[in-house]
Amino acid sequence: MIEFILNGKTVSTDDDPSTPLLWVVRDTFKLKGSKFGCGAGLCGACTMHIDDEAMRTCMLPISAVAGRQVTTIEGLGTLDDMHPLQTAWVDASVPQCGYCQSGQIMAAASLLKHNPNPTEADVDAAMSGNICRCGCYVRIKGTILSVAQQNLAYNAAQEQKA
Amino acid sequence: MSAINMSRRQFLKTTGILGGGLVIGFSMTGCSSSELPITLVQQGFVPNAFLQITPDNGIRFYCPRDEMGQGVTTGLSTLIGEELDVHPKDMEILFAGVHSDYNNPDFGVQGTGGSSSLKAHYLQLRQVGANTRGLLVAAAAQDLGVAASAISTRDGHIVVAGKQYPYGQFVQTAASLEAPTEAPLKSNAEFRYIGQAFARVDAAAKSTGTAEFGIDIDIPNMHHAVVRRSPVAGAKLKSVDKSVALNMPGVTDVIEISSGVAVVAEKYWQAKTAAAKLSPVWDEVALSKVDSSDLRADYNQAMQQDEGVVDTDEGDVKAGLAAADHIVEAEYWAPFLAHAPLEPMNAVVRIENGEADVWSGTQGIVAAQGLVSRFSGIPVEKVRAHNTYLGGAFGRRGTLTHVIEATEVAVASNKPIHLLWSREDDIQNGVYRPASLMKIKAGVKNDGSITAWQAKRVGGNITPKTLQNMMPALFPGLNDGTIDFMVGLSRDVFAGWMVDHASVEGLYEDYDTDNKTVNHVTVEHDIPLTFWRSVGHSYTSFAKEGITDELAEKAGMDPVAFRLKNTQGNPRLNNVIRVAQQHMLAMQPAEGRFLGFAAHNSFATDVAEIAEVSVIGKTIRVHKVTCIVDCGIAVNPDIVRAQMEGAVMFGLTAALYGDLELVQGAFKQSNFHDYPILKMSEAPLVEVVIIDSGTAPTGVGEPGLPPIAPAVASAVYQATGQRLRSLPLKIA
Repeated sequence: MIEFILNGKTVSTDDDPSTPLLWVVRDTFKLKGSKFGCGAGLCGACTMHIDDEAMRTCMLPISAVAGRQVTTIEGLGTLDDMHPLQTAWVDASVPQCGYCQSGQIMAAASLLKHNPNPTEADVDAAMSGNICRCGCYVRIKGTILSVAQQNLAYNAAQEQKA
Repeated sequence: MSAINMSRRQFLKTTGILGGGLVIGFSMTGCSSSELPITLVQQGFVPNAFLQITPDNGIRFYCPRDEMGQGVTTGLSTLIGEELDVHPKDMEILFAGVHSDYNNPDFGVQGTGGSSSLKAHYLQLRQVGANTRGLLVAAAAQDLGVAASAISTRDGHIVVAGKQYPYGQFVQTAASLEAPTEAPLKSNAEFRYIGQAFARVDAAAKSTGTAEFGIDIDIPNMHHAVVRRSPVAGAKLKSVDKSVALNMPGVTDVIEISSGVAVVAEKYWQAKTAAAKLSPVWDEVALSKVDSSDLRADYNQAMQQDEGVVDTDEGDVKAGLAAADHIVEAEYWAPFLAHAPLEPMNAVVRIENGEADVWSGTQGIVAAQGLVSRFSGIPVEKVRAHNTYLGGAFGRRGTLTHVIEATEVAVASNKPIHLLWSREDDIQNGVYRPASLMKIKAGVKNDGSITAWQAKRVGGNITPKTLQNMMPALFPGLNDGTIDFMVGLSRDVFAGWMVDHASVEGLYEDYDTDNKTVNHVTVEHDIPLTFWRSVGHSYTSFAKEGITDELAEKAGMDPVAFRLKNTQGNPRLNNVIRVAQQHMLAMQPAEGRFLGFAAHNSFATDVAEIAEVSVIGKTIRVHKVTCIVDCGIAVNPDIVRAQMEGAVMFGLTAALYGDLELVQGAFKQSNFHDYPILKMSEAPLVEVVIIDSGTAPTGVGEPGLPPIAPAVASAVYQATGQRLRSLPLKIA
């Protein structure tokens, strides 16, 4: 029995401890937003946050996340209450087929959490493990940079108020 | 017309009764009397196969084409919404089930591909929208006691003297009236949604993880299946010791199926782990002895020794070549490629009480229905096929081996089955873009006019291979022998009598000359083939544009000016090149960067691309691509831009990396480490210039791809003096 925190709720499973987190989240906890693309940590479609770090989960055994915080795209934002990146993703019509976008957004959210003012090179470095076969890269990059600028402007305005 | 009306009236009556007096429906084609696969909600009104309007003014649009990322749900809802006066964002959009009313008007079957959707449905869906609007206006006129001429419509509402009434208010009356069949369409100047760059209707679902793909389907008691297949296409299972898998946790069944051996377990990871323990032994087939070098030697021999079949023979090529001041002749190569959509192939099949359900994201849901019927023995009318979002397709999701497998496993295990391919399965057991060896010999005069164009292509044919995949699906009633006979016939016809046009399209059409020949030699090695984004154009553009650059150089002309001179007979392409030339002349590439140009017509759309490239050592870096496109009316210009951006990236992956190597009949590459996809850090900026020529829309899903490889190759020549004639591009 392995226990961890999934989108803020403590959950437990008797799946084999070697089972990759992706499949436990999808098959056991029925959260289907995180995707399977390669099974080898090469495409990023399965990206979740483990204690705020973006990680590939298609090879990460659940034994490694015991007691840790796991956040999936469902825990980042919802249709009614979107994360700012998700709102911006919609406004820019970023997705095409959409299959990689959960992973892209999770990777981007982690990047902005750790680096609120990334350069283009920072975005490239953080996002280059996330493959988009439809080739939405121009929009993904532009949207991350514009959300970072919005955040910075918002924070500056808040500071000025305070 | 009368036959259509009669069947429609009959249909009105039948479904009117079924739907509690509120529902009417009619067959668009008049050919089908079968019930529409539509679930009625809240006493909804179904004026046709595409719409359901509820009394509380819910507008449901049943999208007849498959959403694989190309934006078809947005595009088609824009067409019907334009004439219905309902904004696409205010519609609930559902994927249509199987019914002939949802056939692609260009194909006559329910399939999505060939960059056809907007073009094929442009007038049809607008007419359906206009007719439905006309019906609602007539109902409102009756209910409100005003003349129809006093009524206007806006955003899902009837408007009379400034007062708004939701459409839903009139559905009961509308159900008792007959819809007009030829309601007038708006003029282009009256468009409110067509031509506007509003956000995609599927963006929110796809940004929140809530868009449902085939892989996400989860039904009660569903078991998971993983299949081990031969690494060599067509090799059958000889033997396997099933016990090693059967003893693994969660495993319920190990089943031999047509493509190999399937392991069924309660959870995917259990099935995957157990399947990995199996050591199946496979038969040897002819392909088992073939390496890439053998294959290439066969292609070379065919190119040198075999005349092949004539596709095109215009004018007098011999005389044209004799009249030339310069002759160029060169061979071009393009390899086998996998589509590698990010969502691996999958299907869910449930068989219960003599009925079946299948869920799979496909480019032809009718094929999924047919295959389930064929492989379960359940009649098609008892097979419900449900489409989902497609996690990429690019031609791959027209071949549904995974649906056959899921059906076979569901039948044998007597369980609802979710069957999923791995990435390795996808790259090694797929259906491929055929390899191509192309040779063009062309003549040019000193004044830059092309005097002759002699082209030849060696490779496999896509059409018979596709028939092999599609016929069992589309004709579930035909027995295997008949299908084998027809597939064999088509293979023989294309090998010996006529040319499969998909094999040579794009190799010769674009430039002016009276003297053209195109020959084709079929060489196949039993490797499964299918359409791959832009099909023949994906390789022919590389040869055609490469030779064109060489001709321009011989004539001492700028390559863009040379193309302008030689497209007098092709005015729309000529104009695209002219606009591109203006953009190119204004560019000032930085030190060490070079511009390459290419243009190509495919799927009735004209595209020119300018690639800004640097070469450092052996690394080709594409910094920026400017793409000029004329696709007629851009129904949603932002989606046109997105498709051009995406096609450039897809084409660059093929231009810079895409290669599959055959070793003893099996493809060596297996996952994204050795079959790499362009990454963000390698992605160029893409600027898209849309020429609004105001004519009816043509496709945008594929035409952005063909020019990119030759544009990059042209820039590499500027940078290094090397003419690269083989894909992927490698600096010598």
